Amino acid sequence: MAIIQTGVSEKLVAPWAEWAERYREGRRLLEAGTYALTEGAIAAGCRVFAGYPITPATDIAEYMSKRLPQVGGYYMQAEDELAGMHMCAGASLGGLKAMTATSGPGYTLMHDAYGWAITNEIPLVVVDAMRVGPISGITGAPGQGEFYVARYCSHGGNIETIVLSPNSVQESFWLTIDAFNLAERFRTVVTILTDQVISDMFEDLFLPRDYAELGGIVVPRRHNLTMPFYPLNSDAIDVPPNIVGKGTGICVSAYTHTEEGYDIEAMEAQWAQTYRLVNKIRHHREEILRYEAVGLEDAEVIAVAYGAASRTVKTGVLEARRRGVKAGFLRLISLWPFADELFERDARYLVCELNYDGQLVREVMRAAPDKRKVHFMGKSGELHTVAEVATALEGVARRGSIPELPYIWTEVR
Amino acid sequence: MNKLAQKYLRPSQIPTKACHGCGIGMIENWLLQAIDELGFKQEDVIFGTGIGCVGRQTFATWGGDNFGATHGRALAVATGLKIAQPDKKYLIVVGDGDAAAIGTSHLIHAARRNLGVTVICEDNMGYESTGGQFSPTTPAGYVTNSSPYGMAEPSFDPCDVVKAAGATFVAETTATQWHQTVKIVKKALQNDGFSFVHVRFPCNENFGAYALGTRDTLKNLEWIWEHTQGRTVDGKETDFTWETGIKHDASNSRPEFSKILRDMNERVRTKMTEKGSGDGGH
Repeated sequence: MAIIQTGVSEKLVAPWAEWAERYREGRRLLEAGTYALTEGAIAAGCRVFAGYPITPATDIAEYMSKRLPQVGGYYMQAEDELAGMHMCAGASLGGLKAMTATSGPGYTLMHDAYGWAITNEIPLVVVDAMRVGPISGITGAPGQGEFYVARYCSHGGNIETIVLSPNSVQESFWLTIDAFNLAERFRTVVTILTDQVISDMFEDLFLPRDYAELGGIVVPRRHNLTMPFYPLNSDAIDVPPNIVGKGTGICVSAYTHTEEGYDIEAMEAQWAQTYRLVNKIRHHREEILRYEAVGLEDAEVIAVAYGAASRTVKTGVLEARRRGVKAGFLRLISLWPFADELFERDARYLVCELNYDGQLVREVMRAAPDKRKVHFMGKSGELHTVAEVATALEGVARRGSIPELPYIWTEVR
Repeated sequence: MNKLAQKYLRPSQIPTKACHGCGIGMIENWLLQAIDELGFKQEDVIFGTGIGCVGRQTFATWGGDNFGATHGRALAVATGLKIAQPDKKYLIVVGDGDAAAIGTSHLIHAARRNLGVTVICEDNMGYESTGGQFSPTTPAGYVTNSSPYGMAEPSFDPCDVVKAAGATFVAETTATQWHQTVKIVKKALQNDGFSFVHVRFPCNENFGAYALGTRDTLKNLEWIWEHTQGRTVDGKETDFTWETGIKHDASNSRPEFSKILRDMNERVRTKMTEKGSGDGGH
């Protein structure tokens, strides 16, 4: 645990805590989150991007259109997001790492391809830069409305999903490499749930000198050339992805499949497929868990946030501590599978998110020992101010409730 | 099993679950004949399908690599695959729902890009696996299970659509024209670009039963044949005529999509090397 100026313990549980120590030679830039995401993808070996322009993810497409040809990759502008993600799935099936990026309205269109890619165990990375909604909403304002949509990104159930969320430009770089690694290791779609603030803002960005030197941290694409193509009733990870075009006789489809990939209408096959899709993720939760924690050891009230919201919330926690409140801070980086284990403490939780309906708070209520001690602090379209967070933490710590604040919603039911 | 099926298909996956008298198996046999006459092997061809009768009956029958996309998206998947595996031949076998309804935008843009695939649109003139509803290729006025008073919408010809979009090979044929179909598919596969082959075939269980009033395969085939000739067997004029044959042949006249991208990469990288920054650095 590192100690920051205020004397509070700080902890980052994520692979890049170590990566950042390992790679110190490079360039320091002032760049946007979209730029960092793009470079993270290139560094991770992404060689195909297919997408459709949408604010605030468009810059990723533009950066990709410039960068991919330079590294022997391919940029494709699809006719819609449905096509974009299917193109990426096709490219990944053909053996190339691929990514697409969008925002809410495009994200919902991708659900068709999500189910196909997840069921067929096709490694992919999808970026959703969330803005306030529903529908087009306000294109230049941040939102956190796809917390559940990213978990339930396909119909039909019987899947688990991996969703990560960065909260800085620098983290967008490392986290994107991490997302590609998890996609390869788990043979699934990894969603990066970022937002308008983290995508558009400019910050310090360190980029390692030569991406070829990242071999120690980048999981390369491997190819499974033999049966079984779909190991049923197995929770194994690090199984090489299948490849179409090498004459293995692989079959990939939208149907419930056998080990060969043949379509089958038998309940035993359905159960065996589900066991694999759900438990390869559930049984390896510890491989996916990423979070940041501040001052948890003595905290009586813990502020919980992710993405852009976590930036002012963290400062609000430090401010509350200066005011004498025993406040802690928990930032979820891996949103799904949900980190139930972080909410075992019988403390009060103040869940801050960028929506008025309350999404993350519902999972915290489910995971925490006493849901009456879980408080919701929703804000829509703009970040919580430090003062609002500090005042709310004081209220929760001293009176067990959030004082009435303009533009803050606290009702979940 | 016939010799072509033995050579190219998977014994475990045929015969399919197709209804009695369905034209899908017959057309697939003709595709195999074209592939065989061109000398392709199993590993040369990637076989892609969609959803519906055509997807369900043909998926995984091919002995080589297969994919069955979500409904309408076979061409989007094929676009990504072609980028990654440019040297393969792609046979994308889809129905009228896939090509002419839910996936038409992908069809149009694959044609515009001149993506190097051959699309075989096997058209049974409706959604037959869901019980026989009309589709955009059902002839106007015909009775189906969702047009009990006759199909009220006008239909369209997908060949016109892909030709307008820039397809480099476009042909129409039917399940009553064996030699013509084989000839057309061979030409389609020899185009290094976007080829579209529209093949009408009868559905006896639904379209035949409700639109034509018979489940008799031969009568339904005869109805299709009559409409390619513009005359019934008794010499009367038919209500409309399908012009079959090659409708547009600009094979190999413009660069294929994945090649365009590869050539662009080459230009970009050559320029970078000239500038002395060929390391691909940011």
